Amino acid sequence: MTMPIPGSEAFSSRPVDPDELARSLPSSLQVHTVTQEQVDALDPLTYEVIRHRLWSVTDEMGEALKRMSGSPIVTDANDFDFAISDELGQEVQVGLYNTMLVGAVDLAIYWTLRNRADNPGIESGDMFLTNDPWVGGGLHQNDVMVYQPVFHDGKLFAWTSAIAHQPDLGGVGLGSFSPAAQDVFSESLPTPPVKVVRGGQLQRDVADLWVRRSRVPMLIGLDLRAKIGANNVGAERLHALIAQYGADTVKAVMKRMMSDAEHRLRDKLTALPDGSWTATGYQDQSHEGDRDLHKITVTTTKTGNHLTFDFTGTDPQAGVINCTYAGMRGGVMLALLPILANDIPWSAGGLMRCFDLVTEEGTLNNATFPAAVGRGPIGPAWLTGSLIAECLSQMLDRDLELGKNVQATCCGTWDTAVIAGLDERGEQPAPFLSIMMEPMAGGYGARPHADGVDTGGLFCIPMGRVPDVEMTEFLYPLLTLWRREEPDSGGPGRHRGGLGASIAFTPHGTSIPMGLVLASAGKAVAQNAGLSGGHPGNSGLDVVARQSRVAEILASGRMPSSLAEISDTLEPGQNYASSYLAPGEVFSMTWQGGGGYGDPLTRDPEAVARDLREEKITADAVAAVYGVVLAGGQVDPAATAAERERLRGVRRDRSRVAGETRGKADLSSVRRVDDNLVEVGSGAGTAVACGRCGEVLGDTGAGPLAVGIYDGAPTEAGPQIIATAADYVDAPVVFRQYSCPSCWTALSSAVVPADHPDRAVTLGRPTVATG
Amino acid sequence: MAYVIGVDVGGTFTDAVLDDDAGTVLAAKSPSTPPDYSRGVLDVLGLLAEQLGTSLPEMLADTHHIAHGTTSSLNALVMGNVPPVGFLTTKGHRDSIFIMNVEGRYLGRSPGELQHVLGQTKDHALLPKKHALEVTERIDRDGTVVVGLDEEEARTAIRSLLTDGVRAIAVSLLWSFRNPVHERRLRELIAEEDPEVFVALSSEVSPRIREFARNATTIMSTQIGPGLRDYLGSLESSLRTNGLTGPLLVMQSNGGAVAAKEAPAAAISTVGSVLTGGVVGSVALGRQLGHRNIISTDVGGTTFLAGLVVDGEPVRDTTTVINHHPINVPTLRVDAIGSGGGAIAWLDAGGNLRIGPRSAQAVPGPACYGNGGTEPTNTDANLVLGILPEKGLLGGRKPLSLELARQAIDTQIAKPLGLSVEEAAAAIYTVQNAQTGDLLRKTVVEAGHDPRNFVLYAFGGAGPAHCAGYAAEVGCDTVVVPLGPVASAFSAFGLASSDIVLAAELSDPTVVPFDPQRAERNFAELEQQVREGLERQGVTFEKVELHREIDMRYSMQLAEVTAPVANGPLGMPEIEAAAAAFEKRYAELFGKDAGFREAGIQAITFRVRAVGVLPFSPELPEVPAARGEATPFTTRPVQLDPTSGYVDTPVYDYRELRSGHVLQGPAIVEVPTTTVVVPGGTTGTVDQLGNLTIRRS
Repeated sequence: MTMPIPGSEAFSSRPVDPDELARSLPSSLQVHTVTQEQVDALDPLTYEVIRHRLWSVTDEMGEALKRMSGSPIVTDANDFDFAISDELGQEVQVGLYNTMLVGAVDLAIYWTLRNRADNPGIESGDMFLTNDPWVGGGLHQNDVMVYQPVFHDGKLFAWTSAIAHQPDLGGVGLGSFSPAAQDVFSESLPTPPVKVVRGGQLQRDVADLWVRRSRVPMLIGLDLRAKIGANNVGAERLHALIAQYGADTVKAVMKRMMSDAEHRLRDKLTALPDGSWTATGYQDQSHEGDRDLHKITVTTTKTGNHLTFDFTGTDPQAGVINCTYAGMRGGVMLALLPILANDIPWSAGGLMRCFDLVTEEGTLNNATFPAAVGRGPIGPAWLTGSLIAECLSQMLDRDLELGKNVQATCCGTWDTAVIAGLDERGEQPAPFLSIMMEPMAGGYGARPHADGVDTGGLFCIPMGRVPDVEMTEFLYPLLTLWRREEPDSGGPGRHRGGLGASIAFTPHGTSIPMGLVLASAGKAVAQNAGLSGGHPGNSGLDVVARQSRVAEILASGRMPSSLAEISDTLEPGQNYASSYLAPGEVFSMTWQGGGGYGDPLTRDPEAVARDLREEKITADAVAAVYGVVLAGGQVDPAATAAERERLRGVRRDRSRVAGETRGKADLSSVRRVDDNLVEVGSGAGTAVACGRCGEVLGDTGAGPLAVGIYDGAPTEAGPQIIATAADYVDAPVVFRQYSCPSCWTALSSAVVPADHPDRAVTLGRPTVATG
Repeated sequence: MAYVIGVDVGGTFTDAVLDDDAGTVLAAKSPSTPPDYSRGVLDVLGLLAEQLGTSLPEMLADTHHIAHGTTSSLNALVMGNVPPVGFLTTKGHRDSIFIMNVEGRYLGRSPGELQHVLGQTKDHALLPKKHALEVTERIDRDGTVVVGLDEEEARTAIRSLLTDGVRAIAVSLLWSFRNPVHERRLRELIAEEDPEVFVALSSEVSPRIREFARNATTIMSTQIGPGLRDYLGSLESSLRTNGLTGPLLVMQSNGGAVAAKEAPAAAISTVGSVLTGGVVGSVALGRQLGHRNIISTDVGGTTFLAGLVVDGEPVRDTTTVINHHPINVPTLRVDAIGSGGGAIAWLDAGGNLRIGPRSAQAVPGPACYGNGGTEPTNTDANLVLGILPEKGLLGGRKPLSLELARQAIDTQIAKPLGLSVEEAAAAIYTVQNAQTGDLLRKTVVEAGHDPRNFVLYAFGGAGPAHCAGYAAEVGCDTVVVPLGPVASAFSAFGLASSDIVLAAELSDPTVVPFDPQRAERNFAELEQQVREGLERQGVTFEKVELHREIDMRYSMQLAEVTAPVANGPLGMPEIEAAAAAFEKRYAELFGKDAGFREAGIQAITFRVRAVGVLPFSPELPEVPAARGEATPFTTRPVQLDPTSGYVDTPVYDYRELRSGHVLQGPAIVEVPTTTVVVPGGTTGTVDQLGNLTIRRS
């Protein structure tokens, strides 16, 4: 069933004009608001006191939610968030946890105001629950939002909301994830907003209806109470704040917080040159059995103080790798908040006024019901965020100060492994179900001034964490053979991408095979792209070791440290698979590090030597990727210079040159474009030159740059390419490098499908926006 | 005559308080003397002897014990000023200390830093990889040896560390708290290679589940153990040379002391010693004043420390954060919530007034110090408002520059906001009090309590000027400012009043209900450990109290909540009572419907806390009663309330205050080390111990 279903469009929520929304409400629902004059009349003292108090209220809600929850995805991975919104749902203050959820919260409140105000009504003492990603509130059905209208003097004053990922809400697959799903009917049922609390009372019938669908109903019950508790904390504190300062003053502060955030983002945008930047990325495989690549593409246009993100050209929805409009918007927020708003309070309602989304219905990141969207946040929404980050980085890299927030792409997905089976270690065998949380330890991308953070985490959940091995082994019948940072997994570059890591475990304390469901991406093509000639980080790789010797190895008093020791039958796990892991077998996951920044041949040789000492890279990478010659661990400068010159010669010999260069420019007065390229001249004569050798490569306007282009095998990107593309997809995949055709400095280094758009057209130039 | 002496060695000053059993309390202050802090200790003890009119040897000979708090270990960790340490761990799991569960990137950062994701790095690897070595061995969850220890490989690893100059080795293996056999064998192997090497085992330093925090705790303890051993050894020998016969005790994070010779083996337990002194002092003072619930606020130039006392007992925590690492140390909960008197007022890019978290630090300090600071601080605002005198504090040798304070506020705040300097200063004062209120509230609420049920104590140089303001913001209606002889050395007073506290713990994760015998066995083992520990202290106790605890949690929650367990024989009813206590505490912390028994309760860590009560409980002496009303020594215009402007306000010298004096706000009390504000609408009363109690009129 992939045809759109008539009637389902009523559940698609979109951003609204707040005035229009206010006018559409029935007279039975009075809302509290203030005039612009009241906002303008605030004195700085009152504003700052109440602003800080609203922060403290939000913080208290989050703390309550986090500590009440029973779900390891909340308590360990911090996959949750919370918000305070104004009377119409615009977000005034949001939490710092899963930043993608910020793009979904207000959509659900808008929808609720439009569709619940008459019947069953929105009243004091109510709380709503939804997990319908088309309505909003979350990015897939596992994200559950409980939210509450807060009334003062009979008028709707504000909303509080709490959202958390739930481990299982039914459907055919473990953890509500079905790798073979063709549509949403194989997944957890999306629940549009229902009143779960009425008059302050938890509605037992609704709560039962809710928990009944889950494989872990008790956890779902605990988390439902956690979310209700967090909302109660929020409402109680808001009422106290209103009692102290008056409703109008508090509301005026809420409105001003959003306009303050909006104006500060707009000011920042105004200071940047106008232009358009494009990024294109892929998910390899869309469901069990698929062998295609699926593209998301975005053109980011900055005009004046406004951004437009245009996703036209993105592939149609497919398999399970789709997200709704809320997911696309969440992806944008995951990049925009830390990159453009690190120094602006996260009054997201104001920030979201600074951009528009242009998108076609029925595509990977704007999927139409009944598309399967189980992988929404960790597949397409995440990729959307990575691509937006890539565009914003190109935009900011020109500015040394704002460039501090430039970052090559981080770990580009969540490597999912769900395990379920029987724990036979206790007196009574007990069933268990869990998602392996270790892949939370992804690598961060490299920056213009620093290496990426090794096992820094996930960019979309900045405060995620991985559990301790002991806690995992306490809860589940596993023995973890290793959990370690993987040398070379960070993308090579002048600054190196942060390392990813790997884990290997074997069943321990169970006599029957455990179910193993896999969902991943980024094996055939890189999802952790480099910037400015930096290489992508490692490919992900999941491996099941069948016919394993692990039992004999342990029994003989050894601890294995490589898969090769363990088995000769290493089965690469497909991105989407329903499999099993039997006692005596080993399962290993390697997840992504971050992309590199700048040409690795320009990396400080001493940093390369230090990386080798600290086991961040291998000797292979020292020679082949960085061109550094070491003697007794010490850099040999002369030999290194010669080796690097030789490697640049290799680039020259293997590349074809497109276009013609125009001779050397004077580099004494240039404007930075990125790590390699500069702009020279002015007005109509402005040209792009290589900042290292001064060769003029082309105009800043239209037309491709003169570049050397090379397509080779993916493994030529470095030893971090550990998966074989042909194991996953049919389309050819290449290592594609663009270099300066004069000094052979790498300008762009990627692992992409052979039909990836030609970057010579866009490299180093903002296509100046028209209209 | 017998004395007890508390000595608090801070970064700048070493404070001491002496108490005898006849109602004398003396305090002294002397500069700290890094790197050899023991000189400063002897200096300050000499000052005490002078005040007593006796010699140092005579005073020390009559001293029952000295309780010592030191910041040097914590400073060494924070500054990274530690000797190279080796680390031995289970093969395949070395990188635990580099992965840091990811949280090493953000743990312990302020909200502003948290939002700046791209500004964060994991910059504090505990040690270089060449000193983190793996050994083949594996023990599983149930304590079963899956792979035996490869001793040859272990010896090779140990030799390579020793060859590299390592003189201290931390050993932390997976599941060692379940079965320490391999850790103990490694200690033997190290001793065979070199018996002089300092060794710490995670199964002894921190036998608690979750290997990352256990690894980090063991490594940090090893990093500071040898230094603490050397320092305390030399301090104790010079004290002995000078006549001390009683024990030298060291304060721990848990709010109790331990004998100096016992401290280095579990060095990490002493890192919080200077932070907790104030809380312990609040407990002692609260006992005298009849206050059971206290918020203790210690505000210095650059830090704001908040602690809690509930029902006469300090609020405890099981974990703390040092250098972005979670550290397993039973500790008194002390939150560093703000930046004190030096917090800088600034305008953000949106033109909004903000205060802190950046601080002017000691150098250059507030603009009014005239040391080159140009950014306005709380202190500058207080000077403009008249709260601080321009000529400097009473007896102070340091005049303040009103001109520089006004200039800083005018250029940075007032002009851009279109306010007068006075209005801007008032805004800074008000915002600072309100935000401090928010942060204090967070501390109290996160501990599961309602601030309205507390009395607030304020000490430190920058607390008393603001305490009535922030107390009102959190809803405390009574504020106590200790003004007696220990006003300037309250933390040292806390040290002097501390008992000996030892804690032993063991993770034994299991599901409730479990066999009571399991708990009996665990507690018996832990009680034996603490009793042996108490015997090693070399002190006679008035009595010994044992407290049993279990850290429990619902289902798979990250955070455990500590529940008390009955002493005596345990049966199912006692286990059930402990679970009920957990549920009650959980509901206090998170709301009454938050618990969900059906999800299951797990017992994770068992703990016994032993309090060896010392035969000495210092009390503050009574001050003389007032005869007649308090007389201000001057008045000056002060603005405490933006709506009423500057009001001619009486200023009192604290030395002239007597028990029973009543000060109607607005009023100011000047003390050599601080200034107390009694706002309009409140009344300050001097109690029988000389403290100023401020209440709403």
